[in-house]
Amino acid sequence: MKQTEMTKNNAVLPRHNRKVLLDFLGSMNLAVTLLVMLSIASVIGTVLQQNQTTQDYIIKFGPFWSDVFNALGLFHVYGAAWFVLVLLFLLLSTSVCVTRNTPGFLKDMKQFSEKLSLNALKHQPNQQSFQTDNPPEAEIAHAQAVLTANGYKTKVHQKEDGSVTVAGLKGRWNRLGYFFTHVSIIVICIGGLLDSNLLLKYRELTGDLVPETRSVSLKEIPQTAWMGPENLSFRGTVNVPEGQKSDVLFLPYENGYLVQKLPFTIEVKDFRIEYYDTGMPKSYESDLILTSPELDEPIVKTIAVNHPLYYKNYAIYQSSFGDGGSLLKLKVHPLLSPFENPLSLETAVNKVEPLKTPVGKFRVELNDFRLFNMVPTTEEERAETGKKFHNNGPSMIFKVRNEQGKAWEYDNYMQPSLQEGRWFFMTGVRTSNAEPFRYLFIPADANRKKARFFKLLALINNPVEANKVFRQSFPKTEDIADNTYELQIKLMQQLLTLFRAKGFEGISEFVNKNVPEAEREKVSDYYFSQTSFALQSLYMDVLKQEGRPITDDQDITDFDKTWFEDALNAYNGLSHYGPPMYFELESFKQIQSTGLQITKSPGKDVVYFGSAMLIIGVFFMFYVRQKRIWVHIQKSSEKDESESPSSEITVAGKDNKPLPETEKEFAAMVEQIRQPIQNP
Amino acid sequence: MQTETMTPQHSAANQRRGKFTLRDLGWALFVIIGSLLAWNEYGANMDVYEDAILAGSAIGLIWLGRFWPSFQPATVVVTLLSVLAIYTYASHGNAFSANEQAFFLKYLISSQSAIMWMNALFILAMITYFLALYQKSEFTGKVATAMVWSAAVFGLVGMMVRWRESYLINVDYGHIPVSSLYEVFILFVVLTALIYLYYEQKYKTKTLGGFVMLVISAAVGFILWYTFDREAHVIQPLVPALKSWWMKIHVPANFIGYGTFSIAAMVGLAYLITAKVAEKNPDSGFVKRMPSLELMDDLMYKNIALGFAFFTIATVLGAMWAAEAWGGYWSWDPKETWALIVWLNYAAWLHIRMSKGWRGKPMAWWALIGLLVTTFAFLGVNMFLSGLHSYGEL
Ligand code: HEM
Repeated sequence: MKQTEMTKNNAVLPRHNRKVLLDFLGSMNLAVTLLVMLSIASVIGTVLQQNQTTQDYIIKFGPFWSDVFNALGLFHVYGAAWFVLVLLFLLLSTSVCVTRNTPGFLKDMKQFSEKLSLNALKHQPNQQSFQTDNPPEAEIAHAQAVLTANGYKTKVHQKEDGSVTVAGLKGRWNRLGYFFTHVSIIVICIGGLLDSNLLLKYRELTGDLVPETRSVSLKEIPQTAWMGPENLSFRGTVNVPEGQKSDVLFLPYENGYLVQKLPFTIEVKDFRIEYYDTGMPKSYESDLILTSPELDEPIVKTIAVNHPLYYKNYAIYQSSFGDGGSLLKLKVHPLLSPFENPLSLETAVNKVEPLKTPVGKFRVELNDFRLFNMVPTTEEERAETGKKFHNNGPSMIFKVRNEQGKAWEYDNYMQPSLQEGRWFFMTGVRTSNAEPFRYLFIPADANRKKARFFKLLALINNPVEANKVFRQSFPKTEDIADNTYELQIKLMQQLLTLFRAKGFEGISEFVNKNVPEAEREKVSDYYFSQTSFALQSLYMDVLKQEGRPITDDQDITDFDKTWFEDALNAYNGLSHYGPPMYFELESFKQIQSTGLQITKSPGKDVVYFGSAMLIIGVFFMFYVRQKRIWVHIQKSSEKDESESPSSEITVAGKDNKPLPETEKEFAAMVEQIRQPIQNP
Repeated sequence: MQTETMTPQHSAANQRRGKFTLRDLGWALFVIIGSLLAWNEYGANMDVYEDAILAGSAIGLIWLGRFWPSFQPATVVVTLLSVLAIYTYASHGNAFSANEQAFFLKYLISSQSAIMWMNALFILAMITYFLALYQKSEFTGKVATAMVWSAAVFGLVGMMVRWRESYLINVDYGHIPVSSLYEVFILFVVLTALIYLYYEQKYKTKTLGGFVMLVISAAVGFILWYTFDREAHVIQPLVPALKSWWMKIHVPANFIGYGTFSIAAMVGLAYLITAKVAEKNPDSGFVKRMPSLELMDDLMYKNIALGFAFFTIATVLGAMWAAEAWGGYWSWDPKETWALIVWLNYAAWLHIRMSKGWRGKPMAWWALIGLLVTTFAFLGVNMFLSGLHSYGEL
């Protein structure tokens, strides 16, 4: 029933309906509404961070609102269906508008409207009538001359009643301005759509395409996430290590990515970064070789930021850089071992190394290597060197993960850096990405090495050796009873063990636990002095092993004194350092990788063409004013035939966009037409 | 009403048009010789695009000087002062530290001093304009105009000299000073002042000066804070993404847009105040002294039209640059997106004016709100949103 009614209605009113629809589509109200909607969508898109992980959104907005926002497509505004719909409507609306207005405007451009009746002229926005003493013929020529001199094109029309209208038209290009600007919007939208992922969306809807979300090797990625040459437009990135090639590209797509097969192969010969003296990067460059079956000779080119390589309709950009698997030679120092027996390890960035140690099994994930680490200089340093930054040298970033999965992340520097006049090897540690690294400063010995540090550490860890040293440097004297002496040595041993396990903090804890409150202060003072004493004697022993005859305090240089203090600080911090291992970077061979961005953008030239039209159109529209002047010339009727002929003149003017100056200009024109004719 | 205040100089323009006077010839020669000398001196550092930009600027300058003759003497003074500064640096062994030793540089025309003079003069000009409005004094108004001219000249000198200084500090750092937030603020105040001066001269609207100087003084306040609190005036090298000749045209085109939109907003403000006062007391002296509402409405339109045209160019150039630097002409980066919002906003403004024939108050309000949108695109994006355009984070 209902359906028939409706079809009937449609049949009766199709024309009317279509006209209403077209009126609506081509209306300025709709256009402005769409512009405002686009603006609001764009505001949302910038204020709400786009394309983050679901996790991040839940943390920010809570589960409820992040669901709502997600359903509204607010996390991918520019790809949301409603946003594309607004764009399509804008396209439609502008097209309707252009089709409707253009014929009229074209007519308006060509027409001089020279046939308008005198009455119609008198109803123009500007008009004025006067008489002159010249014959109409002279006035016609004069009017034409004045109009031409002012840049008008003219057309003369002889009316049946003998009067003549000289019609002038200027700035007809203004109307083209409208055409150009509005067609350009359509052209730009079409270009944009060509480069959009509409096709991918469609294929995803049909189940043809499933983006990959895991990070796995290429071989494991199913065919449903691969794109071939049928993909008209794309923009993706790929990291290629120096000396290697790639013929695929990764396209970020929704929460995962797609793999794009390329019709050519890119080989990266070399990647270079240059720095300013401030430590800021100055330039990134990659030497590329592009080979393709279609090319007789490979293309060899160096690309840099702002200097891409164009090949057919592909463009290859320098977009980022990273480590491409630098070779690293490491020494793993056990931190609890009573002997110095570091383990050598040859590995590379991006590798994972299993590590079996007496304290458990670990996995070492080598994440990154940095050749330069630029840090701001201190005020004194700046005064001295004039540099605002200095280079702390290479560092490596890696994670050590235990069997339970807990990970510690480290940032270890290879070379010592100067801090307050002393040299330290810095090693940073953290247990979560959210924290900054906490740095441990390992003091460099006189040779700028870590040898002394590990030697002393091994001695501290070695109860047997320590025992010997204590007895040597603290021999039993007559006035001490045997068991007092033994107790004393044992105390020093125990304190040392406490110190090694938890630093000075461990000793305080021990006192707090085992000593009644009243005596705590006294006891802990005593314990601390005993600990220092124990450590000092071990240190003296190390110094002696280095070949320094030390008999009393005077023999210890200032350097050695501060070194000891710094070392104690470092040992003290070891308890918070994670698994008891220190990874020393012995040597490396840097292999960088360059981050290339490759695009295929068939819409680009369309968009550029549209943009050029837009600019030209805007200038025509604003800076070419379309103006009309009519000069209607009639033989004066009142005068006698005998007298010399005179004319009655009506000047009318119309500006299609009246401005305040329109009237003035019109008055000036009238004045020029009225002026006596020079050579009648 | 006061139609006589807006006598356009059309008859004069018409007479001049076509005729190439001796002065025009001198001006053209000045620009051509100056450009050739500059090219001779610095051409070795320029690529073919930059050669084209120099040639284009020379042609543009010749045109601008003919279109607006008052711009000629200002250009000559800017040139002479800049050359003097460059020469003084050269005679001190091209050491940047000369800006602390040489008298001229230290007190007048090292970029830092010139910019400080500019700042002071803009603030004084604002006060003087309002004083002129209050005193009904034509002379005071002329003094204010002279101050704006001097401030603009100092600003331009500051920019030219800063350009040279960036090379003196370190050849590697050298760049045109339109790359950091500090530098573009100077560009902004100078361009706004110059565009305002043009309209002031053409439509005899000195009483609007104070209002326009409001926005300029606010920007000057920002420059001062940015200098003293953040040391933003220190010349920094460019990040690789900005090392491109595109910057030389993209940024100035943008700032012509920002400048005109700001002027439109301030004229809108003046409009709203004048309309309000006129409602209460149509015979008030203030209303008589202000330009006619009709003229102010038209000025808003003219500024927004000019700004829209340049903003269109700037956005298109930006897209083309983005295509070359980031690999895509449009990435919905916050700065890009806000440029689009600004553009759409003024497109809607122009449409409503065109089609619905809206004039006056609502359009003045809209122009004022438009300034908020523009300011957010200019500053807010850098402060609150992160993206690829991270050249001037606060
Ligand atoms: C993104 C979409 C659009 C943009 C950016 C745009 C831009 C512009 C601009 C800047 C003007 C100049 C106004 C002036 O002369 O002061 C204009 C004029 C005009 N627009 Fe649009 N427009 C768009 C869509 C539309 C649509 C959909 C219509 C259909 C109703 C339309 C109809 C007109 C008309 C009739 C004019 C006046 C032309 C004249 O008389 O010179 N525009 N447009």
